Amino acid sequence: MPLRLLANRLLDLALVLFCVSAIVFAMIRLIPGDAVAIMLGANTEVTPERVAALRARIGLDQPLVTQYLAWIGAALRGDFGTSLWTGRPVIAEIGAQVWPTVQLTVLALALGAGLAIPTGVLMARLRGRFADGAMRVITVAGLTIPSFWLGIVMILALATLAPNLQALGYVPFSEDPLGNIGRLLLPAIALGLPILANLSRLVRSAMLDALVQDYVRTARAKGASERSVLYKHALRNAQIPFVTSVGVNAGYLLGGAIVVEQVFAIPGLGRLILGAIADRNYPLLQAAILVVTCGFVVMNFIVDLLYAVIDPRVRN
Amino acid sequence: MLRNALKAALLTAAASLCAAGLTPVRAQTLEAAIDASPAGLDPHIITAFASFMVVNGTIYEGLTAIDKDLRVGPGLAESWTVAPDGKTYNFKLRSGVTFHNGAPMEAADVAASLKRVMAKEIASPLASRLAAVDSVTAPDATTVELKLKEPAAPLLTSLATLAIVPRSFEADKDGLQKQPVGTGPFKFREWQPNGFIALSKNDAYWRKDLPKLDGVKFNIVPESATRQVGVSSGQYAMLPNIDAATALQLKGKPGVKLSETLELAYTLIGFNVAKPPFDNAKVREAVNTALNRDEIIQAALFGAGVPGGPLSPALKDWATDVKQFSCYKHDPAKAKQLLKESGVAQPISVTMTVLPRQDIKDIAQVVQQQLGNVGIKVELKTPELGQFIQDWRNGAFDLFASTNAGSPDPDDYFFRTFRTGGSTNVFKYTNPELDALLDKARANTDPASRKADYAKVQSILACDGPIAHLAYGQLFTASRANVSGYEIMANRSLSSLAETAVGK
Repeated sequence: MPLRLLANRLLDLALVLFCVSAIVFAMIRLIPGDAVAIMLGANTEVTPERVAALRARIGLDQPLVTQYLAWIGAALRGDFGTSLWTGRPVIAEIGAQVWPTVQLTVLALALGAGLAIPTGVLMARLRGRFADGAMRVITVAGLTIPSFWLGIVMILALATLAPNLQALGYVPFSEDPLGNIGRLLLPAIALGLPILANLSRLVRSAMLDALVQDYVRTARAKGASERSVLYKHALRNAQIPFVTSVGVNAGYLLGGAIVVEQVFAIPGLGRLILGAIADRNYPLLQAAILVVTCGFVVMNFIVDLLYAVIDPRVRN
Repeated sequence: MLRNALKAALLTAAASLCAAGLTPVRAQTLEAAIDASPAGLDPHIITAFASFMVVNGTIYEGLTAIDKDLRVGPGLAESWTVAPDGKTYNFKLRSGVTFHNGAPMEAADVAASLKRVMAKEIASPLASRLAAVDSVTAPDATTVELKLKEPAAPLLTSLATLAIVPRSFEADKDGLQKQPVGTGPFKFREWQPNGFIALSKNDAYWRKDLPKLDGVKFNIVPESATRQVGVSSGQYAMLPNIDAATALQLKGKPGVKLSETLELAYTLIGFNVAKPPFDNAKVREAVNTALNRDEIIQAALFGAGVPGGPLSPALKDWATDVKQFSCYKHDPAKAKQLLKESGVAQPISVTMTVLPRQDIKDIAQVVQQQLGNVGIKVELKTPELGQFIQDWRNGAFDLFASTNAGSPDPDDYFFRTFRTGGSTNVFKYTNPELDALLDKARANTDPASRKADYAKVQSILACDGPIAHLAYGQLFTASRANVSGYEIMANRSLSSLAETAVGK
């Protein structure tokens, strides 16, 4: 079964990637002002011949279809081209910036999803009591506070509380493991809190649904401990929506958290994509979007596999 | 019990992780934070401020150099002679200069660099700065000769911005974008896109005992609040070339000092003079008269700036005092009168295309209100940058609000912007009297009479021209108190980093 699922998913992936590549290719070129206009800027002395020469230099003088076919042909052979601006292979540029994003995703999810289960279960258990109400209010606040604002507040707070701490920017794990994680901690919290708020509400309502089911009553009747009822019987059934939501969040996070990356000066995928759009760096943007799309599809695939692990009925 | 122990262990671990972020700044590497990533490092291709700042005077140098008073002096050429007809320049190169790759800098390299700028295949946007050049030759290893088609007074200033690179790059389009090689005090070490650009000391630099720093690291930090916290906490030693809004928030912070200068760049309103209503000179004069430049500076630039005429007061040798321009006296009644005299149907209703940058957006709103007071209804439109540039270049606007970099020689800006057929004359402005003056001043190598020419140019442009010049802002650099030797430059060059040192 998983093999057939895998084959189906690979087919999906190919189709999605093809469509996305065509859409991205067209869309970035539909934005007014091409790479040459941006390169030459508003303040430089420009003649039409210069513009034409620069367009020819980066291949923009070819018809759109020719450009697309040339690009996709090369991409199928594994050559995604070079950045219009730096002349470096785009794969190398993306490779350098994918790690901060992957690390942030893992940390933020570990934080958000990891804490969401006990928090959600606790809220379900305390249902109707004051503590449950208070926690629900807090989670609504967590949902509505934007991450970047939280980030700025955290940076300002840090500057006041620990003025000598250098927590901005990014150092690779290989260079300074502790500095690396130390610097990613605040942005991971900024990204993880809204996820925690969202997921804990989800766990709460799924648990409430589960707790009124017959099998819970049966479990209690046979004398199972409250802990075992909550975590073994009820939670297992509340896991499907939870896993789905974690998967979707992971997909979004892998696409790069632009604002949080901006605030904490982290060179991740979000800033790479934003910069590529602003600079009209076509090859870089096209490849980056494909990488993000792959990430999203793969996350969905993993979620599907997890369904089968959680729920034996799915396996058949 | 066990759980408490675990909790304590986790807390300790978290605390030590945070503390690990506290890596000491290496004593002699200057950590600077800049807002935007350069788009590449080839000095003949890139022109944006973000790129210029990183490479000009740090990695690369020109034949001449601009000092902090914006005057031209010797650079890689130690001296030069100009033939009496103004059409032949002879440069004597400094000896003992080497490139970062170890090769000596010779006349052939200079000739190759200038030819590279002019070559069609390289498509350098700086080519027009050498438009008057007919030929470049290297008679011997230390002499470079430039023959011009016609005399060009601004040439020496332009040469300061044209980097000299090894001759091997003459036909190489991409090499310098990722791996710059120059003669400057710092050499390129590493570039992590969106992360940082690191430069290290050039041990073989030709100026004795310089640079003082071991290196410079430009951290790319897009968020203004983050940069402020970084310099306050000491993580960054310098925020070069920041605006008043950021600088004022850092004023008085312990351990942070500010240096400032009047900018060469200015803010402006451009008129489309190819169509009504701004084809009418009276309407343009009315707009100038309706503007209250002091109010704009107070409201949008936090009071940090001066009212601007066609040339920055930073150009002490050239600029005319704005008090001498009749239309610069704010007078709404006179503006209404001028509009009536113009014969244009009222009320006038126009759109203003606004450069998407915060200070320009703020200025545009003040201008909108000031023009509204005299009966010109302005609708603001703030497109994305690419769209703005396209509309600007195609002349698809009534009014636009923007900023312009300015340059140390008046010709550089005036000729291309206001001369009939000039490369950035997007307004389609044409004025035969002005054209004659610009042609004359360009070829005039006598400073005093050239100054008189540009005084006339300024008085024509101030009220009749296709641009209402608004203000020249203050430019600031914030640095830690222990940073010494740095001089802020009106053209945003960081060339004084060669003399900069970081104390204990």
